[in-house]
Amino acid sequence: VTAQIDSAVNNTPENSASVSKVFGNNISSSQRRRNFVAMIQRERRLKLAALLMILFSIFGIIFFVKGLLLAFVFAFVISYMLAPFADFFEARGLGRQASVAIPFLLAGVLIALAITLFLPVAARQLEALEQKIPQYQNDFLQMTKGIEDRLGSLSKGNHLPISAMASSWIISKTGDLSASLPGLLSQSLTVLLLAPLFAFFMLLDGRSVGRSILAVVPNHIFEMCLDLHHQINSQLAGFVRARILEGIIVGGVVWLGLLGLGFPYATILAIFAAVMNLIPYLGPIFGAIPAIAIALVSPEGQVVDSHSLSLILVIGVYLLAQLIDVAFIIPLVVAKIVNLHPVTVVISIIIGAQAMGILGMVISIPVASSIKLISQAIFEHILRLKPQTFD
Amino acid sequence: MNLLWENLFRKSRHEDVSRKALRENFLFQDLSSKELQFISELVHKRTYHSGETVFQQNDVGVGMYIVVAGRIEVFVSDPSAPESGAEGLFITQLSEGDFFGEIALVEDSGHRTATAIARDETTLLGFFRPDLTEVLARNPSAGSKIILRLAEVLGRRLKETTEKVSDLRKALKELGTPPPFEARK
Repeated sequence: VTAQIDSAVNNTPENSASVSKVFGNNISSSQRRRNFVAMIQRERRLKLAALLMILFSIFGIIFFVKGLLLAFVFAFVISYMLAPFADFFEARGLGRQASVAIPFLLAGVLIALAITLFLPVAARQLEALEQKIPQYQNDFLQMTKGIEDRLGSLSKGNHLPISAMASSWIISKTGDLSASLPGLLSQSLTVLLLAPLFAFFMLLDGRSVGRSILAVVPNHIFEMCLDLHHQINSQLAGFVRARILEGIIVGGVVWLGLLGLGFPYATILAIFAAVMNLIPYLGPIFGAIPAIAIALVSPEGQVVDSHSLSLILVIGVYLLAQLIDVAFIIPLVVAKIVNLHPVTVVISIIIGAQAMGILGMVISIPVASSIKLISQAIFEHILRLKPQTFD
Repeated sequence: MNLLWENLFRKSRHEDVSRKALRENFLFQDLSSKELQFISELVHKRTYHSGETVFQQNDVGVGMYIVVAGRIEVFVSDPSAPESGAEGLFITQLSEGDFFGEIALVEDSGHRTATAIARDETTLLGFFRPDLTEVLARNPSAGSKIILRLAEVLGRRLKETTEKVSDLRKALKELGTPPPFEARK
């Protein structure tokens, strides 16, 4: 950086004149030059400190105020989904406020319609599923007991306590779910109220807020920060839109497939698969587990005469959903997302899961991509890679 | 209360300065006052001390700058001419109303072909590729007017460069030296 400033400072008469205006005439030219460099460096440090303080306070508040992070994540998702529609209306001559309000109203109507259509069905299915859970637990334990007995007869004497392990695990997991449900609901109510509000103002004023933050960036890294801000923003937008589209398609295929098979709880299982699909790589597997478990243990899950054939059919529905996803959505999207190595993806998901549970898993990839982009840009800036050495 | 009025007044004066600079600029001269207002909310106002670098040759360039106040000097680093000074070979000086760096508006991760250094306390208005994309998405009519003017500027530059190249080739021919490369058919 010093070398850069040195090369920036020069000794033309005009420049010396302006420097002497600042520092007085009684100092030598090299002293003036040093003072000038120090002044610019001080200004850059101050601006950088101000910028970091602003960013840290924004992220600090979002991370540490309970419920705010989730509200912000949803607000970002909503604003990325609705931004193209707002731009569309604005491009046709409407004011920004009206252009933002119209997609919100339309989305509100759509969501209200979906809720009136699907919520009663989903609630009924959830209720029925909840009543059935003890029975499923029991069936599952019977199955593990059968496996255990067979294994026991094979390994003679080496008794593996599979059923005991499985029962404690399954009871703790399903118990967790019903115990955490009220807390989850009250939290999601706050999120449901806050997220659209945040999203509305993000769409209305977000760009000017971004511009105000950029105004504090020191001159020597201004263009880099602007470019980085734009890249991260467009990559996140592409990522969010692709993920939501994927979720809708996977959920839709699963819903139609399970309905077609006459499988129970089709709506709730499809919603679960759609939400789980947001987690890269592992999500589709998680999403299929409940349906496979039901097909394995419950007579209701037996959609055809043969038990194993109905299991294969259910797995087939989930595979078909993934196949459509891989064939049509991923080719459209992959180019827009920073390439992360599969190992990096899995490690990011694990870190996300450890830090913030399911939400952490969902947001781990965009966060990892942003970190990669930022570190790449900083690295290139530090090394000042020249095009000759790069191309 | 006075302070508030003063600040309000100052803000509007700054906006006026930006809008005036935009209105007088070749790229934005076709825009209506409503469109100019829209653009003036998008541009980035930057101030530089005398001697401070705006950008350096080979930096990744994202957009153009309009000189609102002060002066900018443009240099190209020339390793074959060590006598050219610390900044490189002096190319040109730009003053109020001039603009530079516009090629970066249409070039994806292109690199700056020269170094720009402020020569006074200088105020610039930055207009960058993300801003142009935003104008095209939100106000396509203004966007297309800007793009058309930008194409005109780049076309003119290309014409000037072609003329310069053919002049040089002619001069080389008169000197009896064979041209360094043949023109592509």
